[in-house]
Amino acid sequence: MLLTVDGLQIGFGAFSPVDDVAFSIDRGEILGIVGESGSGKSLTATAIMGLLPRVGGRVMAGRICFDGTDLVGLAERQLRRLRGGRIALITQNPMTSLDAMMPVGPQIDQAARLHLGLDRSAARARSLELMADLRIPDPARVYALYPHQLSGGMKQRIVIAMALAGDPELLVADEPTTALDVTVQAQIVQILVELVKRRGLAMILITHDMGVVAQTCDRVAVMYCGRVVERAQVNAIFEDARHPYTQALIRCIPRRDMLRGSMQPIPGMVPTAAAHPAGCRFHPRCPRVSDQCREETPVLRTGISDHGVACHRADAA
Amino acid sequence: MFLFIVKRLVLLVPVFFVVSVVVFLIIHLVPGDPIDNLLRAGSSTAQRVQIAAKYGLDRSLAEQYFVWMRRLVSGDLGTSIIQGRPVGALIAQNLPYSLQLGGAALLFSALTGIAAGVLAASFHGTKLDDGISGLILLGSTVPSFWLGLLLILVFAVWLGWVPISGARGWTSLILPVIATGIGGIALVARVTRIAMIETARQDFVMLLHAKGLSPAIIQVRHVLRHALVPVVTILALRIGWILGGTVTIEYVFARPGLGSLLIRALNQRDYPLVQACLLMLAMAVILGTLLGDIIQAAMDPRQREVRS
Repeated sequence: MLLTVDGLQIGFGAFSPVDDVAFSIDRGEILGIVGESGSGKSLTATAIMGLLPRVGGRVMAGRICFDGTDLVGLAERQLRRLRGGRIALITQNPMTSLDAMMPVGPQIDQAARLHLGLDRSAARARSLELMADLRIPDPARVYALYPHQLSGGMKQRIVIAMALAGDPELLVADEPTTALDVTVQAQIVQILVELVKRRGLAMILITHDMGVVAQTCDRVAVMYCGRVVERAQVNAIFEDARHPYTQALIRCIPRRDMLRGSMQPIPGMVPTAAAHPAGCRFHPRCPRVSDQCREETPVLRTGISDHGVACHRADAA
Repeated sequence: MFLFIVKRLVLLVPVFFVVSVVVFLIIHLVPGDPIDNLLRAGSSTAQRVQIAAKYGLDRSLAEQYFVWMRRLVSGDLGTSIIQGRPVGALIAQNLPYSLQLGGAALLFSALTGIAAGVLAASFHGTKLDDGISGLILLGSTVPSFWLGLLLILVFAVWLGWVPISGARGWTSLILPVIATGIGGIALVARVTRIAMIETARQDFVMLLHAKGLSPAIIQVRHVLRHALVPVVTILALRIGWILGGTVTIEYVFARPGLGSLLIRALNQRDYPLVQACLLMLAMAVILGTLLGDIIQAAMDPRQREVRS
């Protein structure tokens, strides 16, 4: 396994918005982390990047093992060598992810110059190659443009090129298509999938869009209130979802054959980290709630296959 | 960009005339006139009328304005009524001192202020930030003339390192520059600090960290560049102020300068001299703002586009 996250707990002041999260990913694989806003998926990504202190959080417990090295407790200098080098981040909003006062080309160069030790012209050549690879038309011209002169889709390609510049092995993509138009979303998703397959990268794709998951991911971890509630191969998730929350999420995907008004939203709201309920954190919104769910926190149990589910009532349905 | 500068320069022409009318009216509407300062006690009304006629003060305000403006456009600033010397020569004599002090103070406050702001922002929330912020607060509340006196006492009287007063040699510039610049340092440091802290919260800075760049490089090459845009605005506004606003310092250090020249002329109601000084200071403020806009446009590609 290239990356193994185990028992990860993240602390913010007195709260733990992420608790006992575990998953793993290997080269050539796409792992989807799915959940609503506030489920802790972005924080998990931030933790993998070693950037939690930047946002005021810290890892309380658990391991983040990257290629045999535990990133938790690693010195900042060593983390910096990995960041942008072997592990790269693709952020959510391309509109705000680029330095508005610098042409986009040199922004791509930075990681290559830092991590691959390329000089200015070699880094430039590499950036132009990456841009062409990501189907950016006329790379030499775009290289000198400023972010505000590019469309959202182009900017996101620049962000992806920036992530690839340091020749990473693991891509952490935090909602890479959420801020884009639907037509552009499909292109970006396709580009990402191609990259992973062709370059043998590992990619963690964080999203709340079950449609994107179905199209791209090999395996899926469903998060709710800072915990992984279900983890399985993508087919198993869509054909045999065991957790009531996963089932509800799948029912929220619009389909062509749906009757008008038959969409079923999940009742209630995601509670904040300060108000996580006792027992199973999903129990106030769960249709199959029992007394045990209100008191006992379910652990993620894996059966014969690697299909894991954290629910007391998973077998009751 | 070139077109933007030309447009702004053309716009300066009407502004110049409006400012000239305001300046002219302000000094003429204030009670008192220069003749009182020329006559000895007990002079006759006849003498008074004679002097008024000599300087054209007996004509209507509109006429006086047009006479002044006609000469001004042809490059003649007129003659000081009280001192009897050409206004141009008086300004030329005092301007270098103001430029020296003002320029050095501006440079000093810009460099020190930006450095202090960068330090405070980079160590945001630590003791160092608290310390610098405290000094900033102190610096912006201490009156410059009081600080000037204190500096004289310590460095000129007790230690004897620099001259007490006057404007001979560059050592005489040190204390006035510190006294004048301290308020500017505080202002620049405060703006730099806040702008940097705000910029550092933006997404792109997080992504720069995700690239593995060192925090020092991120702070200086990226965050500071964004933060300097508002700082330039502040500095540009201070250009005009620093030329004429150092009167108290000029008095404390017994230095010549535009500020002292203007205050003396105002007390004596020396119309031509006051008008010329005020007009010049007003134009310096306007040109300073223009310069700030041009520098900003050169720094920020988004503004460059809007203004081309």
